[in-house]
Amino acid sequence: MDGNDEQFENYLREFEARRPRAFQPMRQSAPDGWRRLAAAASVMVALGMSLSLVLHSPRRHGLQTVTTAQPIRVPLSIVPLTKLAATDPARLDAELTAASRQVLPDFRGEKSTLRVLAKE
Amino acid sequence: MRLYHEHGPTLLVYASLFVADRSIAEDLLHQVFAKLLEGATSIPDVPAAYLYRAVRNAALNARRNGFRETALDAANSCFVHRGGDTEAALALQVALAELPDDQREAVVMRIWSGMTLEEVAAATGVSLNTVASRYRYALQKLREKLKPLRKTEEL
Repeated sequence: MDGNDEQFENYLREFEARRPRAFQPMRQSAPDGWRRLAAAASVMVALGMSLSLVLHSPRRHGLQTVTTAQPIRVPLSIVPLTKLAATDPARLDAELTAASRQVLPDFRGEKSTLRVLAKE
Repeated sequence: MRLYHEHGPTLLVYASLFVADRSIAEDLLHQVFAKLLEGATSIPDVPAAYLYRAVRNAALNARRNGFRETALDAANSCFVHRGGDTEAALALQVALAELPDDQREAVVMRIWSGMTLEEVAAATGVSLNTVASRYRYALQKLREKLKPLRKTEEL
């Protein structure tokens, strides 16, 4: 390397490399292994939920919702029941007992829902 | 990202010597760094060597795939002359592009990456003598090609 080379090197260094535009990497996605694991977990959760619904469904246990056409004397909502509790607790008990016979499965009579189910 | 700041400008020069279009050269550069960030490749002991190889391969692939050649103009220039000599900057880019690959690599690594000849030898996997020889030939050729533009310089 002689003096001329060094002089020429210095000349070359007068040229500066332009900066490239900013590098904005795409948001890194999870590696394939993790993605597969996440997908498998989602499938497992979905299957579990489906299985749980099937196993705990009322139809499987032979339970059926009892519906009644008879009107309830006091509407079963929080406001009238709260009023009743404040004014006449005894009547509240009576109303709830009456409502429970119609809304919940009756277990007292010979042909009550629960008795029939118990025999089955 | 540190590697990008450190080597980005010089690698852009290097890529631009294969593909004249600056935006394509930048895309190639970004591809290389994106792969590095994805973890597809572990960062080697001498990152510069890997980066030069990766940029070179990407540029050669782009050329093979028939990218559109662009005329070299100021917008595509990868150099800026401190004295504002745009013509000389373009001439330098052309002169570098005309060098054989190994000579071009040696001079770009030495001058713009600031690597010693020993480091260039390690990065390129050849002996120090070979690198020194390539570098010397490269300087000779560049000096000849840029002579008309260095009127005021002692050659």
